[in-house]
Amino acid sequence: MTRLKNDCFGQWIDTTQPKKFTFEGNVIEGFDGDSVASALLAHQVWVQSRSFKYHRPRGPLTLSGQDANTLVQSPKTPNLLADRVPVEEGLQLSGQNYSGWLGFDLSRTLDWFGRFLPVGFYYKAFFKPRGMWALWEPIVRRAAGLGISNLSVKADYTDKAYLFCDVAVIGGGPAGLHAALKVADGGADVLLVEQDPSLGGSLNYHAFSSDLKETQRQRDALIRNVFEHPNIKVLQSATCNAWFGDHYLPVLQGHRLFKVRAKQTLLATGSSEQHAIFRNNDLPGVVMCSAIDRLSRLYGVIPERPLAVLAGNDLAYSTAFSSHDAGATVVAIIDLRAQCDDQTLRAEAEARGIQVYAQCVVYEARSEWGAHRLSRVDVHGLHHDSGVGQKVASIDCGVLAMSVGYMPAYQLACQAGALLQYDDANAQFSISNLPKGMHIAGSINSVFTLSALECDARNAARAALRALDIAVAERDEAVDCRASVNHPWPFVKHPKGREFVDFDEDLQIKDIVNATRMGYRDIQLVKRFSTVGMGPSQGRHSALPTARLVAKATNRSVTQTGVTTARPPLTPEPLGLLAGRRFHPLRRTALHHRHLALNGQMIPAGSWQRPAYYGQPADRRSAIDAEVTAVRTGVGLIDVSTLGGIDLRGPDAPEFMNRLYTFGFVKQPVGKTRYAVMTNEQGVVSDDGVAARLSEHHYYVTATTTGVDQVYRDMLKWNAQWRLDLDIANVTSALSAVNLAGPLSREVLRQAECDLDLSPEQFPYLAYREATIGGIPTRLMRVGFVGELGYELHVPSPLVGELWDRLMTAGHAHSIRPFGVEAQRLLRLEKGHIIVGQDTDGMTHPNEVALRWAIAQHKPFYVGGRSVEILSSRPLERQLVGFELTDVSTQPMEGHLVIREGEIVGSVTSCEFSPTLQKIIGLAYVHPEDAAAGSQIVIRIESGVCAQARVVKTPFYDPDNARQSL
Amino acid sequence: MSDDAGLRTPPTRLSSDYGGAISIQDKTHKRRSGVRGIGASSWLKQQDLSAPDTPNRIILADNKTWVMSLSNREYWVLEPHEDADTFPTGRDFSEDGVYPLFCQSSHRWFVIAGEAKAQMMAKLCGVDLRSENFESGAVAQTQLALVNCIIARHTIDDEDVFSVFIDQSLAEYTLEVLLDARQEFLS
Amino acid sequence: MKIMNCPLNGPRNISEFVYGGQVKTMPDHRLSSDSAWAEYVFYEKTEIGLVLEWWLHSPSSYWFIAERHNGSDEITRTFAPEAIFCDRVDFKTSEVPV
Repeated sequence: MTRLKNDCFGQWIDTTQPKKFTFEGNVIEGFDGDSVASALLAHQVWVQSRSFKYHRPRGPLTLSGQDANTLVQSPKTPNLLADRVPVEEGLQLSGQNYSGWLGFDLSRTLDWFGRFLPVGFYYKAFFKPRGMWALWEPIVRRAAGLGISNLSVKADYTDKAYLFCDVAVIGGGPAGLHAALKVADGGADVLLVEQDPSLGGSLNYHAFSSDLKETQRQRDALIRNVFEHPNIKVLQSATCNAWFGDHYLPVLQGHRLFKVRAKQTLLATGSSEQHAIFRNNDLPGVVMCSAIDRLSRLYGVIPERPLAVLAGNDLAYSTAFSSHDAGATVVAIIDLRAQCDDQTLRAEAEARGIQVYAQCVVYEARSEWGAHRLSRVDVHGLHHDSGVGQKVASIDCGVLAMSVGYMPAYQLACQAGALLQYDDANAQFSISNLPKGMHIAGSINSVFTLSALECDARNAARAALRALDIAVAERDEAVDCRASVNHPWPFVKHPKGREFVDFDEDLQIKDIVNATRMGYRDIQLVKRFSTVGMGPSQGRHSALPTARLVAKATNRSVTQTGVTTARPPLTPEPLGLLAGRRFHPLRRTALHHRHLALNGQMIPAGSWQRPAYYGQPADRRSAIDAEVTAVRTGVGLIDVSTLGGIDLRGPDAPEFMNRLYTFGFVKQPVGKTRYAVMTNEQGVVSDDGVAARLSEHHYYVTATTTGVDQVYRDMLKWNAQWRLDLDIANVTSALSAVNLAGPLSREVLRQAECDLDLSPEQFPYLAYREATIGGIPTRLMRVGFVGELGYELHVPSPLVGELWDRLMTAGHAHSIRPFGVEAQRLLRLEKGHIIVGQDTDGMTHPNEVALRWAIAQHKPFYVGGRSVEILSSRPLERQLVGFELTDVSTQPMEGHLVIREGEIVGSVTSCEFSPTLQKIIGLAYVHPEDAAAGSQIVIRIESGVCAQARVVKTPFYDPDNARQSL
Repeated sequence: MSDDAGLRTPPTRLSSDYGGAISIQDKTHKRRSGVRGIGASSWLKQQDLSAPDTPNRIILADNKTWVMSLSNREYWVLEPHEDADTFPTGRDFSEDGVYPLFCQSSHRWFVIAGEAKAQMMAKLCGVDLRSENFESGAVAQTQLALVNCIIARHTIDDEDVFSVFIDQSLAEYTLEVLLDARQEFLS
Repeated sequence: MKIMNCPLNGPRNISEFVYGGQVKTMPDHRLSSDSAWAEYVFYEKTEIGLVLEWWLHSPSSYWFIAERHNGSDEITRTFAPEAIFCDRVDFKTSEVPV
């Protein structure tokens, strides 16, 4: 197999660098620069995939990654586009979506039964009777699969990066190149994004004039200027896959997703060539004219078999001529029109010995039996009223190149809210209603000749510059767009069908028309019913013919029917690119590495990592029990740095406390702590903590681990309205805290060299003190955290490691144990402490959780006060109570329901087995009539079993709270 | 032979145009303090420290002390050459609106230097930190790999750097992320 | 991703901001009826048009006010809360201080 390699043909391949890969087990030799599809075509391998529904053999259509006919599979990745994947030594590829082998698909028979598989077939056939789909699904999925995902591959290293520019120019064809240069010359910062491996776009393959070399010289100069321009950054092999608000553009390139932040977007995305619709138009060998141009000019592959051209415009002639000049046998041009726009073309064709069939159509494409490849086309005459006439000729050809129209690559513009309109009379598209900061130029703007493109691009560039407040002196240029490229009706209906509108979904003319007959007039409904445009090529070729068919069938214009909505992404994108480097920020306390050294088993707690317990997972239960026992009988130490801390400083600090929390704080003595409950404006309990008064104008208040950020924000927001004179500082990270708890904690603290009189008289329960412990400045609070004698010690975070070590050393003789979250929860549950967010929900008001005592009755105002007042005047609907079960075999779980006379009245919010009490204890919402101690409640546990529990007074442990106030 | 045909193109090296490596230094142990409140700017004057006129700027206040403004009543004082000796307790505030901040304890301080640092940061941060948009003296309170941070561009020992301040509980995470982002810039 | 202009920090990705509800005027909590209070707590303006909203710039913990069209989602302006909330707010003290 020889390739054409000279200045104008085979531009992208390097014939000195052969590369071998395998396709379906056969070794294929391509060259560096080849795509897999071009290398396969050079070896006459036209069948590259099977269609989705009928398993029809399919070959390349556009050769630019725009169609789904080249989806192939590598051992690692399914759904690769063979016309986008560069050949590489050793690559292993196969076709997909077939059983047997690609050349003879066992499921091919589906095609013969096609008339039993009408549109909507799956909906209709497999969903009745109910439950049937579960049976059918695996069979249908296997038959209609889209490749095989290899679940054992290791995820690639993918990455994201921002890219900033003034103007993002999408598309590196002639319009994009001219626009980029003009914008950059104006002084703006340009990012140029091109999907192909090289800039140039249609300049690389389309014969704009008969002097191919001259076009290439112009192109090379343009590209050189672009690369040399200091204001232009170029991304090649990169796809701009969407437009999001304020010009946020995801651009995919290799393993990286660029998050482009542009001030303006200039779309020079071009247009996609449309196919003609006739019987067997999906046969491998039926391709777009632009595909033939690309094949020869970029990859040096010239069709070996005779080539026929189906023309709906003058552009088709250039493909015929350049193919002929490159050595292909061009046997015929079948022109849908009576004459060309350029009257000289016909004579030029005949001079090359190409027969022109004017006012004719391809009625049917045919293949030899079993060959899966175009061998002949039947040409029929075309009457004035669009009717198909008698057969005129039967032409032997191996390739049919079509050029009947171009659809603007409108997707990005329409995602941004632009409107695609179609002038039925002139078969012209226009895009209007562009959002602020978006500009279009080139064939997306229906401008097709080179000179007009240039003017159009400069105009768009000027508009972008003006929008950036850069003065532009020149006036806009007039754009002459004479070329009409769209044939108004390239449809040829055949009695036997198989005229494909949508190749991805195997939809034919009748499928679309039938949908309208079933009442689906709206284009969006036609899409959903028929699945047209839902395949991998996302309607790039099916949107326009569908709109035309629906318009005709419902006696409307295409503008009236519209096209289906364009939504991101433009092309299928690997999820790995969206995930990027997978950031999972989890906060670590300053004691994190000490926990790890002590074998702490870390678990997430809100946004933090905390040790659940210390020891091997196999010994979990005994480790937790030992930690609990240490706290109850000796001494334990826990890292509570994750508790929120907020410093309120200033003359209005007391007033502010009074407004934010339910209790009274103005008269709180200095050196004392108070329990602080916060309600939100709805009167719902939103957070709790301990408030210490450090001085007249200084409070330090703790907040829950998960609640502190919200509490801090709420405080700032309230004071943005009240303008009280104080400073609100979130000191959660600045201060770290540990809780030293247990009957021996006073002794340990003393030995750790705390310079404070720790006697109960001088430092009683609920007091606040400041001292140094071995020189470390510490805020000390005596709180009943776990219901034992205990000290909460807050120190500057950089010093907490030293404090921890000091306490562990001092506690060594007393067998001090670090304890984790599991023991903490159990110890606190034994004391009946509620956890806001666990034992309360978004409806819990203070009366339901027995917090009436924590509300000051005679304050002028507190947030939520009025709502609490309204709620208090109504009868209670539920109440949180403590319960116990003596039968330890039936432990309820959090969320299990409380049932009363067959009705759900509440649920369990916390429940554990208490090793101290040797029974199951928990908290649950119950009916208010069952809230008294001694009531029996019914909890429905696993598999519907009901357990009887007894309501008891809390605390479960040490009900007189004697131990914590020692 | 690799089989990742779909993603074969290696990431364009963001570093291609830049020489030299990127250094990331931990200056957490260096001295920094801060004040907030209506009296904050006059307090700075009393200390003979000049302050930026507008929020989100950093200036050299004397030959080795930088003053950074985060709003028109919040300033951080950075001394990259002095070791920290005390930690704030929060108690020494004055009633006329000068509240000391806790930045020595609450935040860690990383200093990033090297020509490609803005390109590296673009992998983590949504603010354009290139010098044409983020000149020396600029400060951004923003996010880095989903985490809140403060980024200031100034000089230390005549070298153009980013000072990055991160909540101490997220500093190890951020450092891992920064080192990972830097990987492709190492030649 | 949308960009919002923070009065303190300039234009930033919307992901740096936290929504804080519409700007409302609190009725006198001692005098308003239960239903008027419920109206204040639970209801927001839903007619198409411009709404004033609280937004927080999370990295700087800065609250400000944005005027946004709830139909087009266009943010028409953002400004410091002082423009609306310029005076200290006090609630009438009760007879018995606590």
